[in-house]
Amino acid sequence: MNNDAIKDLLYRMADDALIIGHRNSEWTGIGPMLEEDLAFSSMSQDKIGHAQALYNILYTSFGEKNPDMLAFQRAEKDFRSCQLVELPIGEYDFSLVRHFLFDHAEALRYGLLEASSFAPLAGLARKVRGEIRYHVMHADTFFKQLSTGNEVAKARMQSALNYALPYALGIFEPSAYEEALIADGVFAGEARLQELWLEKITPIVAAAGLQMPAIDAAKAIYGGRKGYHSEYLQPLLAEMTEVTSIDPAAEW
Amino acid sequence: MYGNTSLTAEEAKIVNAAVEDPAKLEEFEARISRGEKIEPGDWMPEQYRKQLIRMIEQHAHSEIVGALPEGTWITRAPNFRRKLALIAKVQDEVGHGQLLYSAAETLGKTREQMLMDLLSGKSKYSNVFNYPANTWADIAVIGFLVDGAAIVNQVINSKGSYGPYCRALERICYEESFHLKQGHDNFVYLATGTKVQREMLQEALNRWYRPLLHFFGPSDRDSQHSEKLMKWKVKLASNDDMRNQFLDQYVPKILELGLTLPDPELRRGDDGIWVFGDPDWDEFKRVINGDGPCNAERLEVRRYAELAHRWVREALMNPKEKYVTPMA
Amino acid sequence: MSLDPRINRLDLKRVNDGEQTASHLITWEVFHQDKRGKQPVHAGIVHASTPEQALMFAKEQYARRGKTANLWVVKTADVYTFNSEDEAIFETTPEKTFRDPAFYKVRERIEAFQSKNKL
Repeated sequence: MNNDAIKDLLYRMADDALIIGHRNSEWTGIGPMLEEDLAFSSMSQDKIGHAQALYNILYTSFGEKNPDMLAFQRAEKDFRSCQLVELPIGEYDFSLVRHFLFDHAEALRYGLLEASSFAPLAGLARKVRGEIRYHVMHADTFFKQLSTGNEVAKARMQSALNYALPYALGIFEPSAYEEALIADGVFAGEARLQELWLEKITPIVAAAGLQMPAIDAAKAIYGGRKGYHSEYLQPLLAEMTEVTSIDPAAEW
Repeated sequence: MYGNTSLTAEEAKIVNAAVEDPAKLEEFEARISRGEKIEPGDWMPEQYRKQLIRMIEQHAHSEIVGALPEGTWITRAPNFRRKLALIAKVQDEVGHGQLLYSAAETLGKTREQMLMDLLSGKSKYSNVFNYPANTWADIAVIGFLVDGAAIVNQVINSKGSYGPYCRALERICYEESFHLKQGHDNFVYLATGTKVQREMLQEALNRWYRPLLHFFGPSDRDSQHSEKLMKWKVKLASNDDMRNQFLDQYVPKILELGLTLPDPELRRGDDGIWVFGDPDWDEFKRVINGDGPCNAERLEVRRYAELAHRWVREALMNPKEKYVTPMA
Repeated sequence: MSLDPRINRLDLKRVNDGEQTASHLITWEVFHQDKRGKQPVHAGIVHASTPEQALMFAKEQYARRGKTANLWVVKTADVYTFNSEDEAIFETTPEKTFRDPAFYKVRERIEAFQSKNKL
């Protein structure tokens, strides 16, 4: 198997999970209603936990640094997260739409990985299946209820969807290792994942009464997978590591 | 998390003077003195209902406002373990708010009305949350000592007479034991860590000492009592008793780490009563009346959370469904 | 400036000072079953607009620790109870010992019979 290919896939997934978990945790305590505050916070904790598990595979299977060092002491250019997850939480419409778009891709990705020839990832995929299933249920329930709730909410959801979609296409930015991953039976590849994702979300968007924006590969916001990030990632990392950097040698 | 609230002289007078149907009152009081709980559908004196709503509501507000000082460090927690623990801990505070608003709702006041009263300043929350969390070490002090103080209060209140409040508190106390453990863990790591870490912690401890003494409210000598509220098991222990219990439990845990408290007069008397220097009750009054370091920000953020998301709740509303008071 | 970077990113001033509408979602009574084969037990309430959403919320408020097999939700408006003034209807129930297995004790009688008949 091609180790560089697997490592690249693990870094993409881990960095995505860490950054979106970090972003979504910002709503804890200031969410739209108490019950939703709790649900959103739990999902952000799940995502951060997934990141930790993925970094741990890098650590134990490939001798990379330990999960805390990978998350808290790595340069921005080494992150492989897509730009969708880096964007600030904005208002709740954007956070929910991002959650909907991202989590469907995540659920399908882990679904494919359950059959991966790389056993640690196949094992993790099976382990997180239940959590991700809840994330998708939650996303679908809210997406539909807000889109069909009233005209104000519908307009907000549509405009958040229009804004987020080109970023969401960036989830599937092809990597240099696509063919190796497919040939080795590690992962079916980003192009296949994007196809499955569009098949999955298009009818949900339609059922919610929203217009699916045109899917134009030219408009996809790529870069994150190669270390070119939005203006938001560097400040996010500086903030996340503020305490650690007071005394990096200390045990916190 | 919660601090104590005291009655004004005027309020105490009203509670003590209220007149109720004597036969029903007798039955109600007999039930409480037998150690039975009062449930939502029961007859209860108007003052009992009012004081409970006031108390549970303030407790609920304290939970959701209390999520803010600790939330200050949510995006900056230094590693996976602390990051997950802090998010989960702040989440629990929101969950406690939800449980407590629910308990208060059973007495006939809606959650939205309570939240509006919080925003308008009509209803208060614990004073301790009007202080800032300046550094990561403040999170350790809050998680260990403010939660420790809150547990003293909540364990006592869970022996009260109103069923739904007791049930909420039992669940809350269980979760608070996780808060206390993770707070103590964080506290011990800093105390036993590098010089920088120890200094951060000592400074935070110095900042929180007074607010912690204020936490249980003014001295019994200076606060209003209501015999009725004691008899009805709405209030179960005096401010000084709870403060003393807190000092007894926690001061040794601070000193065993070689840390100090900024009070040369602090000592445990032979009678088991702690003596401490004047914690400046005028400051306590100023902060309660809105003039603390963070009062304005706390309310502004809560107002944002309510009003910026009004569209979400409005979109979810089903006009055909009628709200009824929840059961329990 | 807040000490909390999250708060500094919120557009606090955007929120107008309008009154919050005093409308609220309905409440649902939540029942929690900790494992298969056990009775679901009342755990508390959630505010939600639909059964799906109530379940989604109940999961995180009442099942985020420990074990859970399932959750039930029912609209508060659909739950009926006796008035507490009618509590007296339950008063003599504990005295109805003829419904209790412990009420039926025949061992002494059997032993007396055995000793009398030399069995």
